[in-house]
Amino acid sequence: MSGQGPAWAILLQKVFGLQGNYPNGLLAFVALFFIYLFLIVPGAWIISYVDRKLGADFQARVGPNRAGPSGFFQPLADFLKLMQKDSQEKITTSDLLWIIVFSSALYSSVAVIPLGSSFLMVDTDLSAFIPFLSALVLALGTMLLGFSRPTVPGWFGAIKVAGQAFSGAFPALISLLTAGIRSGGFRWSHLANSQGASPMDWAAFSNPFQFLALIVFMISGLVMMCLPPMEGVVLPINMNGGVTAHLYGRRWAIFRLGRFYASFLWSLVASVLFLGGWQLPEQVNDLLSDSLILKQSLESILLLSKTFIMMLIVIWVSRVNPRTRVDQVTDFAWKVLSPFALLALVGSAIWAGWGLLI
Amino acid sequence: MGGMGALDMSGSLFSTTLSYLKDVFSSVRSILESCVTAIPYLFSAGENRKEVTEQYPDPISSRTADDLPSRSRGLLFNDIDRCTGCRECEKICPNKSIAIETQSGSDPAKIWVSLFDIDFSKCIFCGLCVEECIPGSLVHTKQYEGAVYVLDDLKASFGRGGVTPEMQARWAANRRTHENEEVGF
Ligand code: SF4
Ligand code: SF4
Repeated sequence: MSGQGPAWAILLQKVFGLQGNYPNGLLAFVALFFIYLFLIVPGAWIISYVDRKLGADFQARVGPNRAGPSGFFQPLADFLKLMQKDSQEKITTSDLLWIIVFSSALYSSVAVIPLGSSFLMVDTDLSAFIPFLSALVLALGTMLLGFSRPTVPGWFGAIKVAGQAFSGAFPALISLLTAGIRSGGFRWSHLANSQGASPMDWAAFSNPFQFLALIVFMISGLVMMCLPPMEGVVLPINMNGGVTAHLYGRRWAIFRLGRFYASFLWSLVASVLFLGGWQLPEQVNDLLSDSLILKQSLESILLLSKTFIMMLIVIWVSRVNPRTRVDQVTDFAWKVLSPFALLALVGSAIWAGWGLLI
Repeated sequence: MGGMGALDMSGSLFSTTLSYLKDVFSSVRSILESCVTAIPYLFSAGENRKEVTEQYPDPISSRTADDLPSRSRGLLFNDIDRCTGCRECEKICPNKSIAIETQSGSDPAKIWVSLFDIDFSKCIFCGLCVEECIPGSLVHTKQYEGAVYVLDDLKASFGRGGVTPEMQARWAANRRTHENEEVGF
């Protein structure tokens, strides 16, 4: 009889048809490896392809069309090319520092990401804050990347990144709290279970303040991690030697993968917080009650499609609008996002209180 | 509501909030508008919404240099037999990519273009030199692949080479016979 320990461990043992007791640590390692290999890497591939192709369409260009059918293998080709190139410069202590901080922001949160009702490796009372913190660490890594350059534009870039991350963190945190107010906790399972399968039961559409919080949450995540269209500060064209000017080859690949993961993580969290998470309709749940694997797969597919759509919307907006300068972004984050985040928080609190009182 | 126009509300809490909200609203609207404007491009709908990028002519796109538009500006070629050595191209070139040296030719009135070098590492393919060339000796070819391993290989030489003393002697002899013939008639 397999099946002891947490739900995700039982699920994993079922998927692989394992018998007997395997230590949870080993299972966790296998699970992380699979998430990374079968979710994040192909996700980065597909999203970067879709991003470039859609961007090309929006801008009346052709886009990638050489590697594979319609250029589908372009991301792979790029990756292989980047892997072959390495910087002539030696890896200094400060290079090492940003690479470690940047990648730990990535890989520390892989274990936390929610993928379905039983694929929740870390489901604690404060789960929803962990991606928020790893987003901050990612911004810290980007800042250290700027500081690793012995140039004035590099240092200025680093300070700008820090300023932008800070200005985005505040509204992001407030809108995260807003989601918590509605569900009454920050446990993944709690957040998802407080919503239903139909869009009318999603947090975002349950009251106007939650919808506002969703919008603020999405945008402030982009601000915090300097993602498009708020990425002016980390663009190579922003300067003569700024934060990313010297990056190429393998280091650029690390940087790009990090930024993909950041946007994936943020959209995933937004889907769980506001867009119904992995909730399947009741009837489907009843039907699948004895097939754990099938149920889990459907849940993951649902959640990932929501995530994908969120990412598509961000791509859409960022590809057709001009990029904003760092001072415009911070200005916007402090003067527009933050007040609206507070409004959403207060409004939601009153709404929740009203619900309890009446 | 109707009576409010008479009051000077600028600077009051209400009007500041209102103009702030108006700003937010108009920026949201402008962002949404650009999103909507871009939709037809997604389906290549309408007249001007076709992709405009030329496919790179190579075996994958199964296009050849002949498929390039007739006025495409490839590497330059100078038909030195027609070149008069007027140096107009050298003068107009914004980057000084053309170097010309001339000597007097078989006839002191004729110009012998001994050196005509185009440095493609400097050339921006603006086509000004071709426009300027009255005899039409300087033309753009449809050759578009100029990558080389050594920088010096980017220099194309069309000059005839220096005039040697033997050539001068031969031309002088020719001239003399010619003049004698004219005198003889
Ligand atoms: S094409 Fe323009 S840049 Fe090139 S040689 Fe002619 S004038 Fe100079
Ligand atoms: S403009 Fe034409 S004729 Fe005059 S020097 Fe240049 S190539 Fe020769």
